[in-house]
Amino acid sequence: MGRFPKASCVARRLLPSCHVSGASVNAALVGKVYPAVRFSVSPDRVAAFAGAIGAEGDEVPPTFATAPEIEAMRSVIDDPELELDFSRVIHADQLYEWRRPIARGDVLTATPSIESIRSKAGSELLVVATEIVDAAGAPVVSARCTLVVRPERTGA
Amino acid sequence: MIDLPPGTELEPRKRTVLREDVKAYADASGDQNPLHQDDAFAREVGFPGVIAHGMFTMGHLASSVAEWLPGAELRSMKAQFRSAVLLGDTIVAGGRVRDVDHDAGTVALELWVTVDREGTLEHPIKRAEVVASLPR
Repeated sequence: MGRFPKASCVARRLLPSCHVSGASVNAALVGKVYPAVRFSVSPDRVAAFAGAIGAEGDEVPPTFATAPEIEAMRSVIDDPELELDFSRVIHADQLYEWRRPIARGDVLTATPSIESIRSKAGSELLVVATEIVDAAGAPVVSARCTLVVRPERTGA
Repeated sequence: MIDLPPGTELEPRKRTVLREDVKAYADASGDQNPLHQDDAFAREVGFPGVIAHGMFTMGHLASSVAEWLPGAELRSMKAQFRSAVLLGDTIVAGGRVRDVDHDAGTVALELWVTVDREGTLEHPIKRAEVVASLPR
């Protein structure tokens, strides 16, 4: 590998170039719903998260939603049927829609499903929607995560 | 209600990203992708070294909203990650007020995160859209 790549090269790598060699995830799995995962919002975990993103104040940081989302998405990423090569995955896009703030002590349940899989410029875009509800089943936050599966680079 | 006419610029908020920050975020979020911890792995997949999680950058942006609009609750937040954040980068969260809905008590913000890397302005988040409810 050559010298330290210029920043613009790094940027370009987020949107893959045309070195296509069969990036593929199993598109037949669109609509698949994965097991619900329970996630307790512990004060310690919230404190660690707030510290990491530099959040001040007493509220649970809204993007703490990422923690239960990731926990639930593990079964998607590890799904042998999906054939996802996680070493080629980049997080491209994220949406959260909150119905209420997350609170310490919440016992959340997160249920991911594959919303869409489509190809774009030799890469594939995998959209995972995760619905997060509280112990009473009331919606707390909806998450939508778009992952880009980059083609394997050839040469260079 | 806070007076926020559309077009109001939000004061930029900086943060320099260190390896221990990215490690702390990995542990707290549960995202242990080696791309964010292992330089050799990151180089193998085409980056100059470990990069920060997109959600680390989005988290900084969300924390900035809490500073800009104390007491506001986020209703929605959408961001696209367009450029990698490297260790040592100083990320700068900025934005402006797009719209205020007095009836709904909400404000729409247009936000971004930039990095000035050797004179080249990168946009780890080129455009994020946030809707927040304002404290009454």
